[in-house]
Amino acid sequence: MTDRVVVVGGGIAGIQAALDLGDMGFEVHLVEKSPSIGGHMAQLDKTFPTNDCSLCILSPKMIMCADHERIKLHTYSEIDGISGKFPNFKVRIREKARYVDITRCTGCGDCAAKCPVKVPSEYEESLTNRKAIYLPFPQAVPRKVTIDGAHCRMITQKKCGVCKKVCQAGAIDYDQKDKIVDIDASAVVIATGYDQMNVSLLPQFGFGIAKDVVTSLQFERILSASGPTGGHLVRPSDGTEPKTLAFIQCVGSRDAKTHVYCSSVCCMYATKESILAGEHAPNIKTTIFYMDMRAVGKNFQEFVQRAKKSYGVRYVQSRPAKLQPAKDGKGVLINYEKKGTGGEVAQDEFDMAVLCPALEPSKSASKFAESTGLKLDSDGFFMTPDLQHPVDSTSKGIVVCGFASTPMDIPDAVTQASSAAARVAEMISGGGC
Amino acid sequence: MPRIGVFICHCGHNIASAVDVEKVAEFAKTLPDVVVAAHNMYSCSEEGLGAIRKSIEDNKLDRVIVAACTPRTHEPLFRRNCERAGVNKYLFEFVNIREHVSWIHAKEPEAATEKAKMLVAMGVAKAALLQPQEEMESGVIPVAVVIGGGISGLVATSTLVSQGIETHLIEREPQLGGVLKEIAVIGPEMKKTKELLDSIVKEIKSSPKAHIHLSSRMTDLSGFVGNFEITITGADKCAEKVKAGTVIVATGGREWSPQGEFGYGKMPGVITQLELERKLAKGDVPDSAAFIQCVGARVPGREYCSRFCCNASIKNAIRIIEAKPDAQVTVLHRDIMSYGTAAEKAYRDAAEKGVRFMRYGLESLPKVEMAGDELHVDVYDETLDDIVGMSVDNVVLAVPMVPIENVKDLAMMLKVPVDKLGFFLEAHVKLRPVEFATEGVFICGTARWPSSVSECIAQGLAAAAKASIPIRMGKVKIEPITAYSDPEKCIACGNCVQACPYQAIEIVTSKEGRKYAQVTEAKCKGCGNCVAACHNDAMQQKGFNTTQLSAMIDALIKNALEVAE
Amino acid sequence: MSEFKPTILAFCCNWCSYAGADLAGVSRLQMPPNVHVIRVMCSAAVKPEYAFKALSEGIDGVLVLGCHIGDCHYLTGNHRTKKRFPVAQRILKDVGIDERRLRLDWVSAAEGEKFQQVITEFVSDIKKIGPNPLREVKM
Repeated sequence: MTDRVVVVGGGIAGIQAALDLGDMGFEVHLVEKSPSIGGHMAQLDKTFPTNDCSLCILSPKMIMCADHERIKLHTYSEIDGISGKFPNFKVRIREKARYVDITRCTGCGDCAAKCPVKVPSEYEESLTNRKAIYLPFPQAVPRKVTIDGAHCRMITQKKCGVCKKVCQAGAIDYDQKDKIVDIDASAVVIATGYDQMNVSLLPQFGFGIAKDVVTSLQFERILSASGPTGGHLVRPSDGTEPKTLAFIQCVGSRDAKTHVYCSSVCCMYATKESILAGEHAPNIKTTIFYMDMRAVGKNFQEFVQRAKKSYGVRYVQSRPAKLQPAKDGKGVLINYEKKGTGGEVAQDEFDMAVLCPALEPSKSASKFAESTGLKLDSDGFFMTPDLQHPVDSTSKGIVVCGFASTPMDIPDAVTQASSAAARVAEMISGGGC
Repeated sequence: MPRIGVFICHCGHNIASAVDVEKVAEFAKTLPDVVVAAHNMYSCSEEGLGAIRKSIEDNKLDRVIVAACTPRTHEPLFRRNCERAGVNKYLFEFVNIREHVSWIHAKEPEAATEKAKMLVAMGVAKAALLQPQEEMESGVIPVAVVIGGGISGLVATSTLVSQGIETHLIEREPQLGGVLKEIAVIGPEMKKTKELLDSIVKEIKSSPKAHIHLSSRMTDLSGFVGNFEITITGADKCAEKVKAGTVIVATGGREWSPQGEFGYGKMPGVITQLELERKLAKGDVPDSAAFIQCVGARVPGREYCSRFCCNASIKNAIRIIEAKPDAQVTVLHRDIMSYGTAAEKAYRDAAEKGVRFMRYGLESLPKVEMAGDELHVDVYDETLDDIVGMSVDNVVLAVPMVPIENVKDLAMMLKVPVDKLGFFLEAHVKLRPVEFATEGVFICGTARWPSSVSECIAQGLAAAAKASIPIRMGKVKIEPITAYSDPEKCIACGNCVQACPYQAIEIVTSKEGRKYAQVTEAKCKGCGNCVAACHNDAMQQKGFNTTQLSAMIDALIKNALEVAE
Repeated sequence: MSEFKPTILAFCCNWCSYAGADLAGVSRLQMPPNVHVIRVMCSAAVKPEYAFKALSEGIDGVLVLGCHIGDCHYLTGNHRTKKRFPVAQRILKDVGIDERRLRLDWVSAAEGEKFQQVITEFVSDIKKIGPNPLREVKM
């Protein structure tokens, strides 16, 4: 039995679990597949229901993680496999080659400025590009660049090399290889989070067909001051400010053909985004098309009332069946059934529409489950079958917290992260019960 | 001569949209002792913090000001940053120009910018007079107290004792289990409650570290994190004093009583959810039932949603149909809150099993009447656009959970806040859901907000994790904002001794026979009451002394008033 | 003659009124920009001398905001503040300063709206009372 724990996933749940475990005296290895910790919370503009600036409340926690004497960050890393049984797990971490010596990199950005290759930015939800050598976002932790080997000319064709010439810290190393780190741990915490469903798989919702249909994460980036539009609410087709805006709830969720489950957070974040839209564009008229308005948390109902009364947001109980481009490819036409009319179908035009896609467990989860034998449910969430131990997975010594186990919002994910830390402490200090 | 650096934060457009951050930085340069004034996009990011550290080094700064959001969240972060750059962390002053300026004067950018300048001037004046300080450490009594033996409190206790931490569990009823005792089956998991409760109680009782106090209440609490003294009074009125390091509040809630709603109290078949639970536990299953959701919830005067009532009704609807497959069960609702995976599946399952779901609106509430001996419900179903009538054995009112009756007394004893509804107010709704701003006290379960059983369990675990940290570490750091007196100025009048709520001051006699007031630092909580009680300027508070605060007032006067009208 | 823009000082206690002010900010409740907050740990740490100094040197109004009676983080602090307050007002009156320029109120950590209300009312009241005659006006 050691006091070493591996936390898989560096979103808000993983960060909180790492901090709690570190504070409790455990040695923590936090593994994150992206170049920076922060997860999806780092992409949000504001968080409901307080409309706190997301990065403002997240980045101190990110920095505390990086600074903590008992937490070691492994970013741009994946879990190759976990073997063994509680309390003797052997965790194999693959630190992927960044082709950058992070002990030398100062995060100055000179390399990215000169890199000739453009790649759609994951952080900006493909609304704009990043370079092949890049910092995912300005508040990234660690603040070090990464070379995306699949798109870098030097790595793929042995051409270019501009970044190395420009780097004054001498941090570029094209010969870097993946590094394997083997950790003996007594417990593992899974916090792999979620990904938005690929809504192109549901062409009836017009994503990729109508230019002015965006996903909610894209909308967050549009609203954000550090995003691709500098925080100006503009629509993709012509860069003008939309006067009418529609939100479509449950795109792929609560749908027998795709996902039966409810993604939990979309009613609230659509309300939040509509309030923020109203702050950016005070005369905007917003409509939310929903099934049930799930505002169940503290101050959530008041938040919805605020959207209705102070921002004039219209809540229409209906499930739109089709979204398509309006005239000249600008704007969106939405077909929906009007409630209580015995089936009358209306078609309304909006300048812009935001889809709230189903939130699926992260793809890394299923890879992970295969290598560890952990059971996933039919939707791909890690099973936590024992009600008395809601964060225990099907494998003793491995706990799951946050969205990886079931859709939940930030406060619940943070709570579960602390629950995971408690369970780890119970198992390790309690002599294995 | 102090060398002050001022760093103004844009906070993206949170501050910069209303405050002209560059102008404020320019203004800061003109203030006395300011050596450098800069502005950055996100001071709390690695880049921002690094820029501050570099500036400290380059400009040999010995005092740092950050004008940004609220010190209540980021002060520790910036203090540590100063420390990393070699500046004592108490030579740092935080100026709030976001919550206190840009966010509340959003449409008056000129006035907002002027106000930001004034606040910075005041901060600079204070910073020039700050003195380096060191944190003290205080021991932690390795004992935890859990108030409330419902599901959350039970889980918290179980987790603590299994880590080897001595824990006192205080429960006001003669048995453990709280509201959950009245519920035979937990949904949507369909787990038998007795099995769950018995298992947890067994784990607790099997540990010599657990001390269970039934039919008892906490009647007094004093002290602070690491050193609480709690009085537990039992049914026999015997009071026991317990010393503890941390406290967890798990006092739960109670079912609201819908007197007068939908015939409750008049028509015998109209019952609450808990009353239905008791019926079903006895095997008394109705042949037909109509559940009315949101009774006394999501209404003017009580706007909140009690989170789990839809799922409770769905669970009970399924139980009725499984016991009596021909039962006619209808759920009248204003949104079905079956969020997540299991609950949504249970909703579908119920519908597939034949439970009818009908949506009604606040403007047209269901009507419940006696038609002879039978209970009759009429409801306008919004989806059908028609009125549906049904005769039922029972009308089940799904009512909200509300806080327990004496929650304010408890809150006062613990020195923690409650919100307008009477639910405890956590330190930060997003990122610190099980903590209070008051250190060493934690919250879980329905006392904070109505929560499902699985959420209560997760919160109990989480609160236990947080409560175990000071105990595991064995010490807590005490902020150096304690009081101290100047024996030369003190006339030993004793005002401060009286003013101190913690009896931390006493009059002592010096070697030369001079009497003066002396503060016992370990007992001082840094409230500053003694400072205001002292009329000789002898009593001071570190970080808030009279010269510092006077200088802030002077700075405001100088910069705001001595401007041509 | 340009419109009178009062300059007001507010002492807010860390646990209640400062947090309430933060909540008002988080809730984006708008209010007049005349009030400058000084954070103290307890309203009872506010020496009457600060109010006297501020008002005798030209500040138009001083607000002291603490926790509601019974809720003081330091148990009895706000009781002292409450007792001290009429005495301070009396002294102001005796020296010829309008005692309405000093106000005491209670704002809890959950009362963002109350904070907005107190600020808005006080600014409006001070505007009606007029500029502090002890203010030095440099032309």
